[in-house]
Amino acid sequence: MSQQRKALWESDLEEDLQDVDLNLAIGNYGQNGYDDVQPRIDEATLLAVQQQMAQQAAFAQIPDVVKRFIVHFHQAVLENNLSEITVAYESGWNRLTEKFYSKTEWPEAEVIAPLVNDDQIFLILYRELYYRHVYSRLIPDIDDRFHSYENSCELFNYLLNSDGPVPLELPEQWLWDIIDEFIYQFQSFCVWRSKVKSKTDEELSMLAEGSQVWSSYSVLNVLYSLIQKSKINEHIIALREGKSAEEIPEIVGEYGTRPLYRMLGYFSIIGLLRVHSLLGDFTLALKVMENVELNQKSPFTRVTACHVTTYYYVGFCYIMLRRYTDALRAFVSILNFILRMRQYHTRSYQYDQARIPLKHIINKTADRMYALFAICNALSPTRLDDNISNIVKERYGEQFAKMSRGEEGIPAFEELFLYACPKFISANPPPYDDAELLGTHIEDPPVEPAQRHLALFLSEVRAQAPVPTLRSFLKLYTSLDAKKLANFLDADEEEMVQQMMVMKQASRSVSRVDNANGVLDGQMISTGDLDFVIDENMVHIAESTVGRRYAGWFIRNTEHAQRVFDTLRNSPLPIAPKPSAQKSSATSGAEAAPSAPRTSGQKVAWGGVKAA
Amino acid sequence: MVATASAWVSPPTRTPEIEKLVSGVDRYNPSNVGILEDYLYHQIRSEEYDCLANLAILKLYQFNPDLYNPDVVINILIKALTSSPFPDFNLCISLLDERPLNTNTDEPDPLPSLLPVLTTLYNLLQQCFEDSVREVVIRAVKAAFTRIGAERLGTYLDLSSAELDAHIEKLGWTIDSSTGVISIPPNPDNQIESTVVQENIQRHVSFTLWIEDSAS
Repeated sequence: MSQQRKALWESDLEEDLQDVDLNLAIGNYGQNGYDDVQPRIDEATLLAVQQQMAQQAAFAQIPDVVKRFIVHFHQAVLENNLSEITVAYESGWNRLTEKFYSKTEWPEAEVIAPLVNDDQIFLILYRELYYRHVYSRLIPDIDDRFHSYENSCELFNYLLNSDGPVPLELPEQWLWDIIDEFIYQFQSFCVWRSKVKSKTDEELSMLAEGSQVWSSYSVLNVLYSLIQKSKINEHIIALREGKSAEEIPEIVGEYGTRPLYRMLGYFSIIGLLRVHSLLGDFTLALKVMENVELNQKSPFTRVTACHVTTYYYVGFCYIMLRRYTDALRAFVSILNFILRMRQYHTRSYQYDQARIPLKHIINKTADRMYALFAICNALSPTRLDDNISNIVKERYGEQFAKMSRGEEGIPAFEELFLYACPKFISANPPPYDDAELLGTHIEDPPVEPAQRHLALFLSEVRAQAPVPTLRSFLKLYTSLDAKKLANFLDADEEEMVQQMMVMKQASRSVSRVDNANGVLDGQMISTGDLDFVIDENMVHIAESTVGRRYAGWFIRNTEHAQRVFDTLRNSPLPIAPKPSAQKSSATSGAEAAPSAPRTSGQKVAWGGVKAA
Repeated sequence: MVATASAWVSPPTRTPEIEKLVSGVDRYNPSNVGILEDYLYHQIRSEEYDCLANLAILKLYQFNPDLYNPDVVINILIKALTSSPFPDFNLCISLLDERPLNTNTDEPDPLPSLLPVLTTLYNLLQQCFEDSVREVVIRAVKAAFTRIGAERLGTYLDLSSAELDAHIEKLGWTIDSSTGVISIPPNPDNQIESTVVQENIQRHVSFTLWIEDSAS
């Protein structure tokens, strides 16, 4: 249990926390105040000296506990000591951030370089954390955005283009966070880049020149390279085919045998799923997942954030492929997992202390998935998991009711879709390198990606808008003349029959079957609980109902019985009552309620039954 | 009609060369766009359909706006239309970025150039693709009806009685000449039955765990 042991810097931290020194927390880099005293000397020297002094001043400002933490962290990375790295990464970094850097950057890598003997690899990792902190707590400026890209490139360059696999080991959580953050920063950059109007002249010129920074190609390149290098797809296939422990290293090669590359490869598949979704290529997003098995045993479930992300994007892509049943299944599975995990984790203090951001993200994603669940269930009404349905009713009951009413529910679909959809991006930047085109771009800005995808989704929704009304009538009959139905609806018969065909198609969808090959595979099934067929002019209706559910009932009652049993077992033995007291109470009971002899004692009750 | 999605993901008519492009990283190589475009025209000629290969073309256009070829896009969209009620058409549109047409200032207002595009779409739907579009109608009818009046089906398919008779025969459907009612053979979609969905309990282990968990 590495978590139990306290590292040196941790005990330091605790001491420091007792006596908070606010001056340290506002450590500025001392970049001001030197110009006036410096004589006029050669400008380059002046700059160098200034920079050095600024760095020294900044170094002096670093609290000792942070310095010790960095030294310790570096040592742990050098030794590939996974448990120590995990403690530093998951607990130390976050706690020091809370204490010293909640509103300001961590010291720059150049400043702390002397502490780690200028170890370039550690400094890359340090910058990875440094920029992640900037993105999550502060507002990154254009330099941060460009530099974090450069640092990511350096990191992936080191991993992919060294001579052979690098001898580095990092915790799985961190590896996931590297990929996750890389894509987040890419997406954040694309959104920021698409807002042309708010850019300063300097930003405009930097964007005009740096069109390769955070380009879609470069991001995809990293993810595909990690997948190929680690041979993760070959690995998954080999495992599925039951290859032996001797055969697998042969198949996956020198990179694939190392946990670092294997996990990065795996997470890159999930990364591709996400990037393709963000770019609107839902088919390809699911296609890259074709070897990954979606179940609770997959390696990705070991990192909770990855597990949740995977299901969110897979579910969302299914919606865009109009496979609502598959989407619902994905959401039910992951939302139940989150519910169970929460039950478990509320008892674990470590989860609450160190992982507040993670918890926040998971809760937010879960809430989005409840919204998507509501959307899917409105479009494909079937009775589903009661647990999840009840939570959806609590949170989105109002919207769900509106969405189940067809055309008038469109605003509710719109609201929930925009809330719950991924942050879509466009593949290409505005034409920053061409002033003239940029002018037309500003005058006539393109539709935002989220709005485009919303419009497409709503077109699917509108196509089945007549369904809820038809449904409500069909539910009342087993067979019905088409003319009569048209009269009820106050509609033209021919038009109504066409709407019936729309309804038929809306209740058919491709869905995954048990032995499906990859997430895209599936078969045509009927999704609704109401089906019909038209025999010339007669509509025949068949309804599927859900039989009584026993499992939940048994679980609740077993739990209840267990509680009763425990209470009984734990309560002290009753003191033996005095015979006289018993007698008097029995008689008084009989007197109070003479018409109910059964309550007044066993003997009387038996007598009563016999008498009757 | 694609009953299973596997034929949609990888149609049997797809050649190994195309499969390599669709499933590998070569799909990002702009110089392969010609191969995929040729394949599209091959699909049109031989009435095949490969959605994923066509999406790969649109992907290349998405990343390389210079490659954009409106004719190819229109053909892809028409191909996708014929696969309705599958959402292929929207999946294709998703990939057409916010500004599919080149906003080159040398060119006039995009609307006049868009109009002929739409007209072409319409014309194509009328001509060489009408049988594919009829396929879409037949799919819908087959699912919703067991018997249908000849007149009604005729309007759906835009066929006069003689052509309709021929088309029905081709489909293997039967027509009762006295009543003019066409019988549609049973298929999974037009055979309905009421069912009771029973709970399927398999997770013995996890249930036990829950009980232990909450009891402890």
